[in-house]
Amino acid sequence: MSLRQSTHDPRVQALVLLVPALAIYAVFALYPMINVVILSFQKWNGLDPNRQFVGVANYTAIFTRDPVFWVAFRNTVIWTVMSLIFPPVVGLLLALSLNQKIFGRNGLRAIFYLPVIIAPIAVATMWKWMYDPFFGLFSQLLTSWGMQGWIKDWLGSKDIALYSVFVAYLWQTVGFSMVLFLAGLQNVPQTLVEAARIDGAGRWAVFKHVTLPALRPTITIVLVLSIISSLKAFDIVYGLTGGGPAQSTQMLALWAFTQAMQIFDFGRGAAISVVLLLITMAVVVPYLRWTQRHEEVEA
Amino acid sequence: MSGLSIGNVKKSFGAVDVIHGVDVEIADGEFAILVGPSGCGKSTLLRMIAGLEDITGGQIRINGRVVNDLQPKDRDIAMVFQNYALYSQMTASQNMGFALELAGAKRPEIDKKVGEAAAILGLQPLLDRKPAQLSGGQRQRVAMGRAIVRDPKVFLFDEPLSNLDAKLRVKMRAEIKALHQRLKTTIVYVTHDQIEAMTMADKIVVLHGGRVEQIGSPLELYDKPRNIFVAGFLGSPAMNFLEGTIEDAANPVLAMTSGSRVKLSRAPANSVNRPLTLGIRPEDIAFGGESGVDAVVKVIEPTGSETHVAVEIDGKELTWVVRERVELAPEQRVKLSFETSKVHFFDQQTQQRLDA
Repeated sequence: MSLRQSTHDPRVQALVLLVPALAIYAVFALYPMINVVILSFQKWNGLDPNRQFVGVANYTAIFTRDPVFWVAFRNTVIWTVMSLIFPPVVGLLLALSLNQKIFGRNGLRAIFYLPVIIAPIAVATMWKWMYDPFFGLFSQLLTSWGMQGWIKDWLGSKDIALYSVFVAYLWQTVGFSMVLFLAGLQNVPQTLVEAARIDGAGRWAVFKHVTLPALRPTITIVLVLSIISSLKAFDIVYGLTGGGPAQSTQMLALWAFTQAMQIFDFGRGAAISVVLLLITMAVVVPYLRWTQRHEEVEA
Repeated sequence: MSGLSIGNVKKSFGAVDVIHGVDVEIADGEFAILVGPSGCGKSTLLRMIAGLEDITGGQIRINGRVVNDLQPKDRDIAMVFQNYALYSQMTASQNMGFALELAGAKRPEIDKKVGEAAAILGLQPLLDRKPAQLSGGQRQRVAMGRAIVRDPKVFLFDEPLSNLDAKLRVKMRAEIKALHQRLKTTIVYVTHDQIEAMTMADKIVVLHGGRVEQIGSPLELYDKPRNIFVAGFLGSPAMNFLEGTIEDAANPVLAMTSGSRVKLSRAPANSVNRPLTLGIRPEDIAFGGESGVDAVVKVIEPTGSETHVAVEIDGKELTWVVRERVELAPEQRVKLSFETSKVHFFDQQTQQRLDA
């Protein structure tokens, strides 16, 4: 085959067009991922030219001799469960209300989406001000409403710090779920809504029997992305509390970072990352399989 | 009175008036078809009957009761949509029983009614299937079953056959008509297809630009169209129109603008020297003798049972339908005559029918 002929082969063309994307993926995603897995079986301080193979020592260390790992693990589980509930539910409610013909809905949609495009570290800074127990917005508001008794050290008390951070995280991420749901709502067939109205369905029945089934693919995407982004939660925690007080907001992603970048134990950091990856896959893969099978039955 | 009564109904979307005071009376048990070109307001009118669109002005009564402000579910109607509008996650029987379930009916009653409707429509073997596992025709039948189960006073059909292929459409047409003969429930049926209107309706309502052009039985409309629009809309192939003036009331002749002269046996009163449009259906044209009009054959389309011939008379194209087999060739010159007793006259200015 001459060069001229081969450039007309669609397989060759496809390959040529895919190479840049694949190259970027390989260099910036695939290689680091593999490297992290290898690193998790090694001891390395980040500077030494030699990495030392240590077998599963990093894993046994984090599982048996690292109490913070289990705190971070527990916090990550709580965080993930909250992320599965609140951003999707609040996002759906926002999408449903902003899908009505209300005044200024385009402006409102933009406003609710705005936090998504702000850098998480900036969000953290803003919320740190608002959470300030003396001069922050929340404390001021509670004072002006005469509810001083409700004022807490939002980020400084270890019983509520995790939830305070989560509220900021929810504020930042909910716009993303909302936009996905809004897009999904545009695919709800209007004649089906009308057929349901003629059948005597009220708002709730229309929602249950028409809107929700039509939103099912969107729900799958929102849930999967919520899980993934919640397990990755790092910058907002880093910016708001840095994992404290007393590790009460410590999370796996943050702990992996701390191990590697502050304690310079890259092997342990990598091992924590691998555990995080396995948890993500253990949750997401079965769910995707399940929804795919479900959709095949429907179709 | 029972049935459906539409009185001076108007509809505007903002500043745009789409229906300008429509009056239609549909008797109990009648099969009425709203027909017209797209944008004529037929679907809007149906949706107003259903309660899916607000009524800007006028009144709609179902069984004597004004329904203007009633919710769709309270109007005693059921609707069949063009795209079936079935709930994809429910089986055929769940789709059909859904309205009863919402109304709080007991399971045995729902099963009984769904079973009856399924028996009428031959759906029993398909009741456990979901819409995705059904063909287009089967889905449409489930949609009809859903309507039947509700036992409404009026069935509304919104272009129910438009998504089906030609062969299935003909079959479903007959099925819907048989269903109507069996259930004897009032039907309001919207279509843009004049053949559906002609073949199925007891009463046709021809709509055009948000106004009623004519109401009547299919053959009334076919034989005595009130104006040029109705004359041209109903019938396939469509009616031919020739323009000219009548000469000599005693011995009427149409002098066509183009020069040819057509001898007529009758003419409307006071029509001499008045610009007229003469309408002639393709099947009312025949081979003429020496006195016939000169025509040139252009295109010959045999359909088997008949032959459609495009002919040109003085540069104007006409369609001619020949029932018997004929030997014709393109560019052949023929003499044609018109069945003068079946010629229609219309005033060119008002477009209205002139009776002769």
